[in-house]
Amino acid sequence: MSEITKEEGTQKVSRRQIISDLAKATFGLAAGVAVVSATKVQAEPSGAPQEQLPQSLSKQIPQDQMVLRMQRELYTAMQKPVDQRQWAMVIDQRKCVGCSSCTVGCKAENKLPPGVIYRPVIEEEYGTFPNVARRFLPRPCMHCTNSPCTKVCPVGATYKREDGIVSIDYDKCIGCRYCISACPYGARTFDWGDYYTEGTPELQKYELEPAFEYGEKRARTKNESPINNTRKCHFCLHRLNAGMLPMCVTTCIGRATYFGDKSNPESLVSELIGSSRVLRLKEELGTEPNVYYLL
Amino acid sequence: MLKRFYYSLLLLLTGVGFWALGVRFMDGMNVTNLTSYFSWGLWVVFYIFFIGLSAGSFLLSTMIYVFKMHALEKVGRISLLSALISLVAGLMFVLIDLGHPERFWHTLVYRNMSSVLEWEIHFYLLYILLVLGELWLVMRDDLSAMALNQIGIRRILGKVLSLGYRTSTTSEERNQQIHTAERWVRILGMIGVPMALGVHGGTGSIFAVQIAKPFWNNSIVPIIFIVSALVSGSALVTFLYAFFGKKDSDKPNVLASLTNLLILFIGVDLILVLAEFLVGLYSGIPEDMHSLKAVVAGQYGLIFWLGQIGMAAILPILLIRLSRKNGSEVMKGLAGLSTVIGIIAVRINLVLPAYVSPQIPGLENAYVDSRLVYDYFPSSIEILSTLGIIAFVVLLFSIAWELLPIVSNNDPKTSGRRIENYGIDTKGTTHSA
Repeated sequence: MSEITKEEGTQKVSRRQIISDLAKATFGLAAGVAVVSATKVQAEPSGAPQEQLPQSLSKQIPQDQMVLRMQRELYTAMQKPVDQRQWAMVIDQRKCVGCSSCTVGCKAENKLPPGVIYRPVIEEEYGTFPNVARRFLPRPCMHCTNSPCTKVCPVGATYKREDGIVSIDYDKCIGCRYCISACPYGARTFDWGDYYTEGTPELQKYELEPAFEYGEKRARTKNESPINNTRKCHFCLHRLNAGMLPMCVTTCIGRATYFGDKSNPESLVSELIGSSRVLRLKEELGTEPNVYYLL
Repeated sequence: MLKRFYYSLLLLLTGVGFWALGVRFMDGMNVTNLTSYFSWGLWVVFYIFFIGLSAGSFLLSTMIYVFKMHALEKVGRISLLSALISLVAGLMFVLIDLGHPERFWHTLVYRNMSSVLEWEIHFYLLYILLVLGELWLVMRDDLSAMALNQIGIRRILGKVLSLGYRTSTTSEERNQQIHTAERWVRILGMIGVPMALGVHGGTGSIFAVQIAKPFWNNSIVPIIFIVSALVSGSALVTFLYAFFGKKDSDKPNVLASLTNLLILFIGVDLILVLAEFLVGLYSGIPEDMHSLKAVVAGQYGLIFWLGQIGMAAILPILLIRLSRKNGSEVMKGLAGLSTVIGIIAVRINLVLPAYVSPQIPGLENAYVDSRLVYDYFPSSIEILSTLGIIAFVVLLFSIAWELLPIVSNNDPKTSGRRIENYGIDTKGTTHSA
């Protein structure tokens, strides 16, 4: 009995102590990191490219340097002719926390209606209790080198661009949905013409706003493309053309998604593809996906 | 009276169906219950059903005009007409299944040579011309007679459809005409055999080339398509001829030949289906397994056992077997009808079960939406429009049957081109009853 009270007493003291220690430690750590990274940057050879963007954050959070690097590489890639760049995406499954912010970002960027999804996140659960683990698998379009979907399109409305992006010409597509069946990854969805606010007094404005997919300004109006067309992920082509990274890369809170030019051997994605953890989905089908996973 | 009821029923169904089609064209694809993961449904089922029916009927007609299976001479025109009308139905179904049906012409303008569907559309169009040509050639003498001897609508039809052709009165020219017709029917038939195989084998290939769907992705699928097409085509002709064919001394013989063929085709079809299922179930590739299990013992089990095995195999074989004893034409006709309906089950089980399992495990739960599920039952609009199109083509067929010389090809008064001119003995038994 007395022992328990004694223990409670000591606990109270230690808790107070811990809090103050923690505060000190945090302050110290932040300062330490700042100092270390500052010296690191200074120690680097002056040949490194000059960054015009605010430097403080990227110095402190190494992951953000990756974003800047991808951004830089995107500029370099865009300087090249279109047939000399090969876009690729790398998704680090150890870093993915399954927050679905890529799904949400994509939905918002492309103003996707109900039923149309470019990048869902599949949740996998392994093992039996107590030895269980979860893993997340974001699934954009694989932009396969041997794409089964473009092969079957009867009108050639979906095609492989020279830079590797599998895109769709909405005005050509007849909506036969052959490509949807033919995709081994389920990466194509059909725009059925549904609205979120259907059956309410009026369709909300956000649903009628135009999207900018493929650099075309298109509002969804009844029976007009992209309604009744197949739709899919296009690596945010309209953003790439404006020098921006795809939305899912930008919104990824764990910095698990990387994007870049595979044909540049010095790019971040090229480095990551060289990892021994690298894996592609359904490799046995010979589709040669351009989305790589790090397991 | 019965006829009037029949036509009013067809008209009613057609009307309701066209209303449903109107709704579908106004509202777009969201009137269907299809989803992005279950992207082909009832309309595609009936598209391949009718294309199969067409190819099967046509192949049956080539047995007469190309392979000289004279015992079947009487059903030549029936098979050509059903080939034509079925193809029209098939094309209507594929048209309404398009998200943008108004862009159907894109398939003829923008080409993608690696697409099976693209090739098929060309096949269908050439094939429809070929069937039309052949049908015209075998009917032209009767059409000419219609233009000369009949009155009213039949006379007009005869004038229009004979395209100015008139049966010659002098025997020399007459023989020349017969010779020309016979030769061209044979030539068209010879082109038609690979074409009909291409039409339906190719339709099967639309499915078979998809690596994403292991259930389809095997080379037996196009073969099953062709054989089941032969089953449905000969079954349809058997049904039509048994119930509506002209009663004469040849009829039992013709029916015996038809039912023999039907049983042969059903047998081959069963062997192929057995091979597909045994190999698939033995191999146990997960996605293929899900589909096969869904067919054998899952949500499509009833359709499989009752429709595919019961109505398209066991029942017709039993009926034909029994009819041999009492010589019943009705039973043979029913065997044909049962098979045709059973083939719908075959088509359902060829298309739908491929969609029952997710392409990547877990995808079914990754994003929740009613259009992102691996489950499908046709909507009322889909069902009504399907019934409507079927009623419409049955109506077309019935009108053609009534107005055109489809069953009157051995009536010497209306036909200048008699059977004897072929030098064919229709009474000979190429097949024993």
